[in-house]
Amino acid sequence: MTQAQGQEVHGEVFDLGYQRYDGPREGRSRARKAMYWDGVRTVIGIGRGGRAKALPVLMFIAAMFPAVVFVIILSFSGEAADFLPGPGDYYDIISLMLFIFGAIMAPELLSPDRKDRVLDLYLVRPITSTDYVFARVLAFFTVVLALVYSGQIVLQVGLILTAADPLDFAKDNWRDIPKFIAAGVLVAAFITVVPMAVAAFTTRRAYASAFIIGLFMISLVTTNILTERQGCDVEAGTVDGRITFEESACKPITGDAAKWISLLNMRAIPLRVSDLVFDRTDPDAEPSVIAGRDLHDSIPILAYGAYTLIPVGLLWWQYRRIRI
Amino acid sequence: MTSLLQATGLTKRYGATTALLDATFTVTEGVTGLLGPNGAGKSTAIKLFLGLIRPSSGSAEVLGEKPYESVESRARLGYMPEHEALPNNVTASEFLMHMAQVSGLPPAHARTRAADILRHVGLDEERYRRIGEYSTGMRQRVKLAQALVHDPVLVLLDEPTAGLDPGGREEMLDLISRTGHDFGISIMLSTHLMGDIEHSADRVVVLENGRVAQVGAVSGFTQETETLLLEIDDKHGEVTAALKAMGIDAVRQGAVLAVEGADDAKLDAIRDVLAQTGARLRRLAPRRGMLTDIFRNSP
Repeated sequence: MTQAQGQEVHGEVFDLGYQRYDGPREGRSRARKAMYWDGVRTVIGIGRGGRAKALPVLMFIAAMFPAVVFVIILSFSGEAADFLPGPGDYYDIISLMLFIFGAIMAPELLSPDRKDRVLDLYLVRPITSTDYVFARVLAFFTVVLALVYSGQIVLQVGLILTAADPLDFAKDNWRDIPKFIAAGVLVAAFITVVPMAVAAFTTRRAYASAFIIGLFMISLVTTNILTERQGCDVEAGTVDGRITFEESACKPITGDAAKWISLLNMRAIPLRVSDLVFDRTDPDAEPSVIAGRDLHDSIPILAYGAYTLIPVGLLWWQYRRIRI
Repeated sequence: MTSLLQATGLTKRYGATTALLDATFTVTEGVTGLLGPNGAGKSTAIKLFLGLIRPSSGSAEVLGEKPYESVESRARLGYMPEHEALPNNVTASEFLMHMAQVSGLPPAHARTRAADILRHVGLDEERYRRIGEYSTGMRQRVKLAQALVHDPVLVLLDEPTAGLDPGGREEMLDLISRTGHDFGISIMLSTHLMGDIEHSADRVVVLENGRVAQVGAVSGFTQETETLLLEIDDKHGEVTAALKAMGIDAVRQGAVLAVEGADDAKLDAIRDVLAQTGARLRRLAPRRGMLTDIFRNSP
């Protein structure tokens, strides 16, 4: 279009008014996906302020930090560094950090929706309370799983790259990969459902976090006390002319009951199941640290099942009875 | 007219308490008011139509479906609650995109709809601010926007002007009226404020003690009556007496004299009496019905 010289050019603004929507409507499946992705974004802090991103970023750094340190040591010392922990030990190393992450972030997903009553807006849409809560659980599980795997991936890559013959190393140790994947799922599921079940019963994030941390600490301390070894007689003797001291008859305070009491240690349960996946046991560890060590392998697995399925049941029950 | 909501013998009991009893009414296109005092059963009716509770007897149908049997029917409904129901730590844009998706819209469409609706409710400039920083009026607009973002057929608004100052209330009612009449989204407006109904609604369903007291067009309740109102500044006694002498009964209501059954003969008589007594006339007009009369006249 040409403009005559000297003619002023005026833009025109058209108000199209309200436009009806005639695009696709994907109903309940889209609603579930939306709740899931919103949950993931909430945990990671996407679309939220800078402070909301700080903790997840710190936690991911913390989860990978030990692996990075191990890899650096390996790269300098080579195969001489056999003393370093391997994939089977890694979940134990980062477990405390995982529990703290669960305690702080799980309430973030459920409590504000009830406190601010945003849940009222969700439940009048094509989504049920069960859809809502399981989308949230799955979202949190996804992030925890990413956190759990992040360090393992760094460690695996580091182990392969620092080996004298990376290909041989990968061939010899490939079984670690399905093991850490399976064990990671089990650890992440535990870290997800227990804190979320607690968060479902309060609208206050701080109360939920404090309760979850308290629950883990109390279970840890109680188990430690009840399974503490006693009666470790120290007998003096001589070997080759030198005086030696030897412990004997060490037994937990609660005797054989300690085998079962150790199942109360909430931190130890997922780690014990992880150890079973990796087929490893530390014979020197305190009884409280290894849940159900002297029991048949099926017992800690059943305990793990109870610790995860009961919270799932509680979540379902609590959200089924919520009325707006 | 298409029936959007249909209540048939709708009853809801909570133990010994009856919240809604044998309610039968229809909500069609346009703006329909659900009027009643607190405890009249308005919120119960809304919950029944949203499928959040099941009726004790009777049925509540939304767009021909029973909402408590399938959550999918809610995809074409919008709901704005009376109470606070917004997250504080996200922007209005982010929140609306999310709510559009929870209503079933794909992400790309949800983004466009969120921007459009925020413009329509007057929050275009503020859409990237966190909701926690909004004023009460702006928060009410976000609540309305989330109810409209998926372009529903019908929106249920529960006390939408609650907590607003007179200016904000007027703006909200204009927005509701525009939504119901220009956007083509039908509205059921639940309120205890008759002014809100008179301002925005085409029809009204009046609930009292859980029962339907009246149903009809708002204009039917506010149309001119047979009563003539004669507002004069002075000489009320003289005028009343003079009219009485001519066989016309005038009832004094403050500065106003009400004359029943006004016709041409009575108008002539009133003109003559005013001229004769010299009373100063301020207003002479037929009385218009008011929604308050519904409650005054109900048993």
